[in-house]
Amino acid sequence: MTIKNSPRRILYLYWRLYSQQLKAMMEYSADFYIMIGAAALTQITGFLFLWVVFSRIPDIQGWGLWEIAFMYAAIYVSEGFGSLFFEGTWRMLRLVNLGELDRYLVRPVPIVLQIFCTGIGMNGLGNIVIGGAIIAMSLSPIDIVWNLQTIFMALLMFASAMTIRVAINLAANCSAFWIRSSGNAFPIMIHNLGEFAKYPITIFSMGLQLLISIVVPFAFVSFFPAAALFGREPWSWWGWLSPLVAAYFVGLALLILRIGLRRYESAGN
Amino acid sequence: MKKYVSLALCSMQNTLAYRLSFILNFVANFIGLIAMYCLWQAIYTGRAELSGFTWGQMQSYLLITFFVNSMLSYYSESSITNKIIDGSVMMDLLRPIQFQKARLAESLGSCVLEGLLSCLLIGLAAVFTLGIQLPNDAATLLLFLFSMASSILVKFGIVYLSALLCFWTTSGFGIYWARTSITNLLSGALVPLAFFPSWLQSTAMLLPFQGIVNTPVTIGLGMTEGIEALRLIGIQWVWIVLLWLLGKWMWSGAVRQITIHGG
Repeated sequence: MTIKNSPRRILYLYWRLYSQQLKAMMEYSADFYIMIGAAALTQITGFLFLWVVFSRIPDIQGWGLWEIAFMYAAIYVSEGFGSLFFEGTWRMLRLVNLGELDRYLVRPVPIVLQIFCTGIGMNGLGNIVIGGAIIAMSLSPIDIVWNLQTIFMALLMFASAMTIRVAINLAANCSAFWIRSSGNAFPIMIHNLGEFAKYPITIFSMGLQLLISIVVPFAFVSFFPAAALFGREPWSWWGWLSPLVAAYFVGLALLILRIGLRRYESAGN
Repeated sequence: MKKYVSLALCSMQNTLAYRLSFILNFVANFIGLIAMYCLWQAIYTGRAELSGFTWGQMQSYLLITFFVNSMLSYYSESSITNKIIDGSVMMDLLRPIQFQKARLAESLGSCVLEGLLSCLLIGLAAVFTLGIQLPNDAATLLLFLFSMASSILVKFGIVYLSALLCFWTTSGFGIYWARTSITNLLSGALVPLAFFPSWLQSTAMLLPFQGIVNTPVTIGLGMTEGIEALRLIGIQWVWIVLLWLLGKWMWSGAVRQITIHGG
């Protein structure tokens, strides 16, 4: 018997797996609030940093406080989105090292879906709330022409940005199949490349710009959407590439996962 | 004393055993340094100085901050919190050693390697940039090195206290995260305290965090000299003692309500 993985079934399964995790999560309610609080705090201090810097200077290469705050927050919101709904990617090391992936491989449920629902990062909620607030605050001082086209573009870029982030997380955490170590050091390193996308990419050298535009496309999470929304030339049309980049990176992540799974051998006992 | 030295050596070997993670971890932090470097470079284009910092000084500032932040990294911190969360703290209760001293010994042990590796990276970075301006005269250099060493102890005091919070929660990572963001802002690791509005600056000076980055950096850059430098180091030591005593007091409260499951 083959089971057809219709989108409806996938969504249903996702919901069931997710809500079970949520119940487990709520057992430790103090942890729940600590994670939300810690994420919010990190982001507020990050914003304070920008604010302190901009209290001394008017702009950085023509970019004002709120424009950079927008990029900064976009990185955090996408990070939060990945944690809140797809935290499981960060647990792959554990799944592989302890051989827990065995259980997933025998179930008639897509493996990616099961990996996604291995955990919930409540810190994501803190990131999304504070990041969302910063983005909302940043929109009023900036001149944006709101019409059907910009709204459509904004939604398209938002969906692509979130997809790109999750795909990067998945691809980076596949390192667990190759690096047999106890820590998440490699995926954290990739995650930290997001630091480069918190600011206008023109402040970096060409090599770094290519790195975060093509190799690990964090720039499509923050900088290019911002430039497109604010109508900054010459990057304003780059935002339209977001869905393509998202498709490309999802494909890449799935390919890496597939190669990794072929290497996977259980912890065994 | 001897037993603490061997603990320090053990932790050094432990760090070496996971060298790939250790190095990748460092590279991850180095990425943050590069981003900050480029950001400040863009900020300083067309400016000679900002809040009393020239671009050259800011470069040294970033490198020294990286060094100080590399000491007592997530590695040492998580080894304390994990002991508490997974219950292996029980083994330490059975041994004739003091928990606080043992953790200090282990942290200092890893600090040796962390220090070496970050010196290497900073050395590389210095080759590619203008380099670090270190103090010229021996007295300032001595004060600088001493304040660096003291800053590790201040950081240990704060890390230890926050790690002990894990007796009350299982979210070691959340605690670590919250502590890092507060430390980064108030120690001057994100941006020099001199950039702060005066109310925030004076608040930060009243807290222990400034002893971690602000004190060694301003002494190293020659911004605080003589009596003023000695005063800042004195404040560091007041905090080292206070935090140590606070840690002792908190530990005695914490072990009383410990529950360890199974065996």
